[in-house]
Amino acid sequence: MKSSPGGDSTGLISRLARQHSNELGLLAAIVVVVAITTTFSDAYREKPLQNVQEILRQTALLGVFSLGAAIVIISGGIDLSSGSVIAFSGSVCAAIMLALAPVDDAGNPMTRNLGSGVFAIAIAGTLLTGFLIGTLHAWLITVVGLPPFVATLASLVGLRSLARVFVQEVNSSLTVTGKTTQIYVNDETFNRLGATWWIPLGIFLVLSLLSWVLMSRTVVGRHLYAMGGNEAAARLSGIRTDQLKWLAYCLGAMTASIAGILYTAEVGTANPQVQGRGYELNAIAAAVVGGCSLQGGVGLVSGTMLGVLFLRVVIDSVAKMVKVGADDYEGIIVGFLVVLAVAFNELRQARRGGGKQFFPGRLGATVIGILSLLTGALATIIVGKNAGFALFLISLVGLGLIGFAERRAAARRTAGPDSQLP
Amino acid sequence: MTSTPLISVRRVSKRYPGVLALEDISLEVAPGELLAIVGENGAGKSTLMKILSGVITEYEGEISLRGQTVRFRGTRDAERLGISIIHQELNLVEQLSAAANIFLGRELRTPWGLLDQAAMDQGAAELLDQLECLIDPRAAVRQLRVGDQQLIEIAKALSLETGILIMDEPTSALTESEVARLFRVIDRLRARGVTVLYISHKLDEVFRLADRIAVLRDGRLVEILDRRQTDARAVTHLMVGREIEETDLSSPRQPGEPVLEVEHLWLPWPGHARGWRLEDISFSLRRGEILGIAGLMGAGRTELLECLFGASADRPAGRIRLDGQEVLFQHPAEARQAGVALVTEDRKRLGLFDRMSVGQNITLCTLDRSLRHGLLSRRREDQRAALIVEQLGVKTSSVNAPITSLSGGNQQKAIIGRWLLTQPKILLLDDPTRGIDVGAKAELYRLMDQLCRQGLGIIITSSELPELLALCDRILVLCEGRQTGEFARAEATEHRIMEAATMRRAMANVSLDCERFS
Repeated sequence: MKSSPGGDSTGLISRLARQHSNELGLLAAIVVVVAITTTFSDAYREKPLQNVQEILRQTALLGVFSLGAAIVIISGGIDLSSGSVIAFSGSVCAAIMLALAPVDDAGNPMTRNLGSGVFAIAIAGTLLTGFLIGTLHAWLITVVGLPPFVATLASLVGLRSLARVFVQEVNSSLTVTGKTTQIYVNDETFNRLGATWWIPLGIFLVLSLLSWVLMSRTVVGRHLYAMGGNEAAARLSGIRTDQLKWLAYCLGAMTASIAGILYTAEVGTANPQVQGRGYELNAIAAAVVGGCSLQGGVGLVSGTMLGVLFLRVVIDSVAKMVKVGADDYEGIIVGFLVVLAVAFNELRQARRGGGKQFFPGRLGATVIGILSLLTGALATIIVGKNAGFALFLISLVGLGLIGFAERRAAARRTAGPDSQLP
Repeated sequence: MTSTPLISVRRVSKRYPGVLALEDISLEVAPGELLAIVGENGAGKSTLMKILSGVITEYEGEISLRGQTVRFRGTRDAERLGISIIHQELNLVEQLSAAANIFLGRELRTPWGLLDQAAMDQGAAELLDQLECLIDPRAAVRQLRVGDQQLIEIAKALSLETGILIMDEPTSALTESEVARLFRVIDRLRARGVTVLYISHKLDEVFRLADRIAVLRDGRLVEILDRRQTDARAVTHLMVGREIEETDLSSPRQPGEPVLEVEHLWLPWPGHARGWRLEDISFSLRRGEILGIAGLMGAGRTELLECLFGASADRPAGRIRLDGQEVLFQHPAEARQAGVALVTEDRKRLGLFDRMSVGQNITLCTLDRSLRHGLLSRRREDQRAALIVEQLGVKTSSVNAPITSLSGGNQQKAIIGRWLLTQPKILLLDDPTRGIDVGAKAELYRLMDQLCRQGLGIIITSSELPELLALCDRILVLCEGRQTGEFARAEATEHRIMEAATMRRAMANVSLDCERFS
């Protein structure tokens, strides 16, 4: 019987490669996407440094709350509220600054030159807001017994609306402009917090390091994995699952609050109507692309970091190649990558399990049509009518051939040489 | 045997990546016979049956039915040819009614194309009546007892005019009276000419029912025996490939002072007619003693252990003293802290972390002792896990292997190891040998004996009486939440325990006449 801890040293590299196959795959994919973009677009070659900085800054902004989303997902839950928490936190942060800013002769607060004390109070207040939101989620989930999906869905819908009302009230009581829907903070130092590329990046890296230590090197982290993997067993092992959930949802909300501060700082405006809208799904998508399982118990901080980077690199790559109206493509890209990442894992397992049909029966035939139409439509929009039609035909024929081959293979496997059903 | 076999399996193999689950199996089943298929866990019994019933469609070799080669593309193909399988885990939609489940996928319809509920209810009632199953066909399945749920599956098979019925460990969750009813149903089915393939761990059942016994080991067919020309000992020998040395647990242990005293423990059952899950339970456990808790399903065995561990859904009333100190745990964490350990009944659902490694499963409860500078030290953790792996003889390639790569018995050892690391004063084991093969059971018995001799107090429940009789110093019997008997080792017999467990109600005609096997 062999029971040596860690196995022998020659196995170490292969074991690491096996354990981190997802991360290695993401790294390779990132390199490929960057290479393709560099080949087809001048932007990367002309201003490499600027592009790298911008991608890293965007990665950091998304990454900050993706870490929280990943921790919640690993612990077996889901947090749908981060987009609205971002908006609400940004509003709270801006409101605190507004309240503490000196007032000019007309009675308007001046936010051009705020002291560091104001920053500290605003940031602390915003983080406290995140803590309170996370605590409320934990209470709804562990005590009231709501499913995490429902509890955080309520916040997703409710917090944004609350933030909009809140901003109007703040404006009408603190400024002379009345019930306006945005709070402006003109301080340059504050603005730099979100706009200078290395500040969000630094914050993201520090938070990543802390998350990694938490998840990989502490008892609490291991318990979070255990709870995500099997909650009943975790409780029966003497793990206080309710407290762990409190922690997880607070981390989810507080990372979103940090992101809220950064997004508000970036534009110098708290605008709860649009800020962070739909970002919760980007964060969940980044975690899933990074290897977190929505069933819980699986996922790594490093994977999530790479998932975020991959998402941003692809979005940027498409922006560089499409040039006009690239923002509109973001949703398509994220949706496509999530499906692709999960399908890729399915594909890997299918290869081991011996053959999986992706286009079976009538459903498969219909889907071949849908996918071809999608490809054609996208190509039409991006390149032109002729290219669109050509790509439509190519995917129709290509996918049709794959479907046909699959059917042949499946029939061979199940039918056998001399089969007959009486 | 008649000249044309009903089923003939020729050289069937099934390969999973890295594992050969079945290797070159050939066997024939005669019409109307009951063939029992026995073997340890992982011997390939279920795999073979899944191939026969169309659940697994990819395999090597061929199968013919009534002389014609067949190759099922799914369970529907098999059902059309009259083969039904009743899985160990039942395949019922719990929210739907019994009738809806019986006709699922083949719903009866009115001429208008709408569901003909009345006809289905009536058809279901007739089928259930034949099976002595006195339930309302409109009752939702989740409200029914496991035994009745199983009969619904059988009724479903009957409604398909099944000629071949495959049953995978059908008695594992049944009470003795339900087992007796099931056996009567099987007899009746056979009288109608139904051929039965019966998979079981329990050799007494096999010897009660079977015409022939096929023994599988490590994916290979070892032998097919005629029931009348063999005995349990010979079959066991073939199953494990070695004689099980009689576990010598007979040398008397010397229990010390009481470590656990329970007085007048009541556990409420809100919203239930009985009102109490447990009523007025009192007992004590000494250091170095194994106390068994016997009882049928629903007697309250698991609930009692949960009370002692602070894991019950409702708060119990009464007095529990651990080492003389009164305790009332609100959460398993407090029980663990105080030195109580619980190895849960349902290993997969309540014990195992299947995404973690063997080592992580072992160290989970005692991670704070693997810390260095406040952070987890992988090396220390591995060392502690390796210690348990070695002490308990967990068969694994390394502590970093996934826990799911281990057999049931070794998984159970890892979980017991997890709790031993907490250095408990008492160890609660809830049916620890369920679903574990014969060889591993013997190892677990020896382990318990050894731990007990080191001064640990152990409480064990089991659905198999011979196991309790062999292991325990005393046996406490529960019946419907009440304490109906307590026997010292010398005075405990299977008969007396069963009497207490059924409260002297007329026992169903359970035949325990054949050799018991433990």
